[in-house]
Amino acid sequence: MPSMLVIATTAVPDHLRGALSRWTSEVVPGIFVGTVSARVRDQLWQAVTETVGNGAAVLVHPAPTEQGYAIRTAGTRRRVPIDFDGLTLIRMTATPQVKSEQSPP
Amino acid sequence: MLPRVADSLSFLYLDMVRVVQDDTGVCAQIQTPDHRTDLVYIPTAALSCLLLGPGVSITTPALTTLARHGTSVVCVGAGGVRAYAAVLPDSLTTNWLEQQVATWADPARRLDVAIRMYGMRFQDDKLPQTVTLDQLRGMEGQRMKALYKILAQQHGIGRFRRNYHPDQWHAQDPVNLALSAANTCLYGIVHAALLALGVSPALGFVHAGTQHAFVYDIADLYKAEITLPLAFALHQSTNPEQEARRRFREDLRLLRLLPRIVQDVLALLTPARTDAPGADADTESRSERRDVEMVHLWDPKAGVLPAGVNYASGGD
Repeated sequence: MPSMLVIATTAVPDHLRGALSRWTSEVVPGIFVGTVSARVRDQLWQAVTETVGNGAAVLVHPAPTEQGYAIRTAGTRRRVPIDFDGLTLIRMTATPQVKSEQSPP
Repeated sequence: MLPRVADSLSFLYLDMVRVVQDDTGVCAQIQTPDHRTDLVYIPTAALSCLLLGPGVSITTPALTTLARHGTSVVCVGAGGVRAYAAVLPDSLTTNWLEQQVATWADPARRLDVAIRMYGMRFQDDKLPQTVTLDQLRGMEGQRMKALYKILAQQHGIGRFRRNYHPDQWHAQDPVNLALSAANTCLYGIVHAALLALGVSPALGFVHAGTQHAFVYDIADLYKAEITLPLAFALHQSTNPEQEARRRFREDLRLLRLLPRIVQDVLALLTPARTDAPGADADTESRSERRDVEMVHLWDPKAGVLPAGVNYASGGD
C-alpha cells in the first residue's frame, strides 16, 4: 500500500537529488514529495543516509502512531526530534553562547 | 465540541522545564548542563491534556493560551504518580453539568447510574433485576480478586497483592509501579475528558468525598480491560513506570479511548429512555440552542428563558 512521503534536504549532493527526483517531485528546492511503497521509502531513505555527507535531511511519512506520522532524520541540525513517552516533538538545540563567554567590551 | 475532544492527542508529560509563551507559541525551555536553553514547542491546540510534573514552572500567558485552546492542565507528581490540581478550560456549555447534577441529586437516578456503571464493568447483562448496590460491590470485589489471580498465573507470578505506598515508591514490585503509573495516566485522560465535556470531576456516583470522585468512577470502567493486563505484562521491566506510559499511549491509539470515554459519560448521564420519547430530542435541541446563546435565565415553570431581555411589565 503506497503512502505519501515528504523529504526535506539541505546541502546534499546533486546525484542524491537526482535519485530522489526519480521517485518524487521536487516541489520547491530541496523538498521532495511522493507516494511510494514502504519498501521504496526505506531504500530511498537508505540512499539519503549513505550520501548525506555534511548536509542534512528529514523524512516525514504516515505511521500508525497517535500523531499519525513518523519522523526520521539524517545529518546534524539544530532541530532534533525527541520522544515524550511516545509523542514526538522537536527540540530546538540552542546555539553555543559565544558572546557570554567573551570578556565585556 | 465532541469530535474535537476525541480527535486530539491524548497527553504530554513534562518535568524539570520552564513553560513560557513566546512570540510564536507555547514552548518548554530545557536547561542543558552547559547553560544553554533548548526549546520544544508544544502543539497546544492539538493536545487534550498537559501533565506538569515536578520542577515545572509555567507563566500566566502560557496558561492562558492553553486554556483558550481548551487544553486541560493537570499538576501531577513525579512520573505522573498523583494528580494534584487542574486548570479548567473556559467557554463550555453547562448542559452536561446540569444533567450530571440533576442525576446526582436524585437518589433513585443516582442509584440507577451506579448500577449501570457496575453493569458496564462486568461486561455482561446477566445482572438480576433486583440487585442492590451492596451486592454489586461484593460481586465487583470477587471479580477483581479472580482477575488478579488469573493474570498472576498467566505471567508466572506467584502471588500478587495490590499495594499503593507513595512514601516507599521504589520499594514496590514492577507490577504495582506500572499499575500506579498507568492508572494515573488513565485518571489524567478521564479527567481531561470530563473537563472537556464541562462536567464536574468531583460529583461521583459510586465514589464520594474527593474532587476526583467522578474521575475514579469512570476510570474504574476501563481498569480491568486496559491498565491491569498492561501492568502484569511489565512484571520484568526495569523501568516499569515509563514503559507503562509508553504502552498506555499505544493502547490509547488502539482502543481509541478518549471518544469512548466521552460516549460512555454521555450515555451514563443521559436518563434511561423509559419516560416520554420526546424528552431526549428536547434535551438535544436545548443543548444546541445553549451553544449558540451561551447564557440563559432559569424559570421553574417556563424552563429556559433568553437572557439580555428586559422582563419589566408595564411602565415605559
